[in-house]
Amino acid sequence: MADQASDFLKDYQALAQQSWDTWTRYLQQQTASAAPCAQAASSHAGAGDDLLARSMAALKGYNEWLQGAVGSGLGQGSTDWQQSLQNLFSSLGGQPFAHAFASIDSEAARSFGQLWQSWLQSSQSGMRFDVEHMAAFGFTRERQLQQQEIAAAMQEYLDWSSKYQALIQRANTEGFERLQAKLADFTDSTRQIESLKALYDLWVDGAEEAYAQIALSEEFRHVYGEMVNAQGRLRQLQQQQLEAMCRELGMPTRSEVSALGKRLQELRREVRGQGVSRESDELATLRAEVAALKRQLAGKAGEAKRPASRSSKREPEKDAVVRRAKPAATVGARKTVARGTTRTRK
Amino acid sequence: MFPPLRLDPAALTGEIAAFQRKLAAGLGNLRHQLEPEYANTPRVAIYREDKLTVWHMKGQGKPTTRTPTLIVYALVNTVWMTDLQDDRSMVRNLLEQGEDVYLIDWGYPDGADRWLTLDDYINGYLDRCVDAVCKAAGVDAINLLGICQGGTFSLCYTATHGDKVKNLITMVTPVDFQTPDNMLSNWTRELDVDLFVDTMGNIPAELLNWVYLTLKPVRLNQQKYVSLVDILDNPKELQNFLRMERWIFDSPDQAGEAFREFIKEFYQQNKLIKGDLVIGGKPVDLGMITQPVLNIFAEQDHLVPPDASRVLGRHVGTTDYTQLAFKGGHIGIYVSGRAQREVPPAIHQWLSTRN
Repeated sequence: MADQASDFLKDYQALAQQSWDTWTRYLQQQTASAAPCAQAASSHAGAGDDLLARSMAALKGYNEWLQGAVGSGLGQGSTDWQQSLQNLFSSLGGQPFAHAFASIDSEAARSFGQLWQSWLQSSQSGMRFDVEHMAAFGFTRERQLQQQEIAAAMQEYLDWSSKYQALIQRANTEGFERLQAKLADFTDSTRQIESLKALYDLWVDGAEEAYAQIALSEEFRHVYGEMVNAQGRLRQLQQQQLEAMCRELGMPTRSEVSALGKRLQELRREVRGQGVSRESDELATLRAEVAALKRQLAGKAGEAKRPASRSSKREPEKDAVVRRAKPAATVGARKTVARGTTRTRK
Repeated sequence: MFPPLRLDPAALTGEIAAFQRKLAAGLGNLRHQLEPEYANTPRVAIYREDKLTVWHMKGQGKPTTRTPTLIVYALVNTVWMTDLQDDRSMVRNLLEQGEDVYLIDWGYPDGADRWLTLDDYINGYLDRCVDAVCKAAGVDAINLLGICQGGTFSLCYTATHGDKVKNLITMVTPVDFQTPDNMLSNWTRELDVDLFVDTMGNIPAELLNWVYLTLKPVRLNQQKYVSLVDILDNPKELQNFLRMERWIFDSPDQAGEAFREFIKEFYQQNKLIKGDLVIGGKPVDLGMITQPVLNIFAEQDHLVPPDASRVLGRHVGTTDYTQLAFKGGHIGIYVSGRAQREVPPAIHQWLSTRN
């Protein structure tokens, strides 16, 4: 039995390695055939690239999952299945979720900690002091304060980020507990798990359920909100610092461009509003005049049939002035015209 | 009493070997794929403004209905989900039923659109699109078919410009933004959206995609691509998969100001159902919607939970309210086989008794 298990492990490891090598070779071919500049702009280049990156991360995660499942002793005779599952969880470093998150990291939405660490390091290069805790003074006092603020904001972001990671870790643990609970229900011969893929799918169900419960909690809401807000404060300080540098170099800043855009949009709104208002006033005037003319014509036709009357000639003009002042008349007129059009189409 | 796992070592070796074979055999297919196409239904642009276009969709025959239907999609992703491919196209299906279909393609906002507000979108763009469709069709009121956030916009529009809307259809539309099962809502509630927009400007599509993927991180980032191995040897299925991938990640950035208002007014303050919402100085009262309303939602929707949509019936003023629950998800309601059989015919049937 032991030999059989040992052979199986060897076979599996060979296959897993073969599988991984295939993907790696494929990637290398892709990379070799692409020019460096094309690679730099490859995120939207074609069907394959972005998909490939995500697929690779996903398959790597699945590969490790399979490897962990086999190495844990699952399917190897008398081994306690619950202990095997525990081994599987441990073999994945207790963080099978990590691959799911890693595969959605990208240049535009990657771990902000890494980005800001680089910024901080570059902006502190040349400083030999513990800037965060130094009293600021002298000619560069303001800049020192700014650096301290950025360092504090960075620390705050890292604190919230680690709280967020702790919640993800909890989802990892609870996901495996849910898998165990689900498996405990598979106790008759017609409902046994017979493949690694089926076991993996069941783990995915458990992991998503555990994650959803945590992600919908008030604790997660608070930590998520604070993490994003801390990131925003850090970004704001960095932008302020960058803007100061741009001003010194005589370059246009983000807030200047933004202010221009805002003014332009306000102006467009104003111009359009005036246009609509003028158009609507002119339309109302024209409609009222047409109505008045129609009444005049009707009045004249009436006059031809009966003796002339002064009041009947002047009345429509008075009415037209009143209608011009009522915006509701415009709506009524529009509806009438449109209905007329519809009727014509019939 | 049996152990839950019956994993035979030989069978497991076979399973892994089969996986490996599929992977090796299918890789070549992935290399030779062309960019999958979508939105192939013939169409004519009838109105353009800034980055948006209103398209008049053309079917095989002439429409048999008098009142045109304008599809209003969300600002996230693109409207082409409704016309993904020949045999998975809500637009094509509606045309075949005899409907006269128009749709708004919002385009891709850039820095110049940073200050567009919800007022600009709803009382500005959307209103002018409706006018353009009215003019093109020679009618004074049209049917609106709003999808997701576009459904919310359509509700706001109908409540404030009721004379131009004959019938209203909402699909997977959030109305109550604070149901307990709404993950997006939970994540935005303590967000300092002013700081967020002030520092980001327009909200990058890639960041939003990241958020959507983290709604179901393992299923959407790992399990989906593991399953891809099973269809690598099936060119048609692979094309369908790649087409869907293209649509999912072909996303516009969000105009910063409109995003700020949407998060604040809808997600954080839930003003639409509270009756406190004011857009461009116009109070938005759902009770003012007296047109017939058809509300369609998906029972397995992870983005807009059914309860977030279902509540609409309690808030609109109409006496002609119909609700349709679809067995599927937020995307499946447009692209699944079941959706093709059930949704467009239901919309057509509902409209045909009201047009």
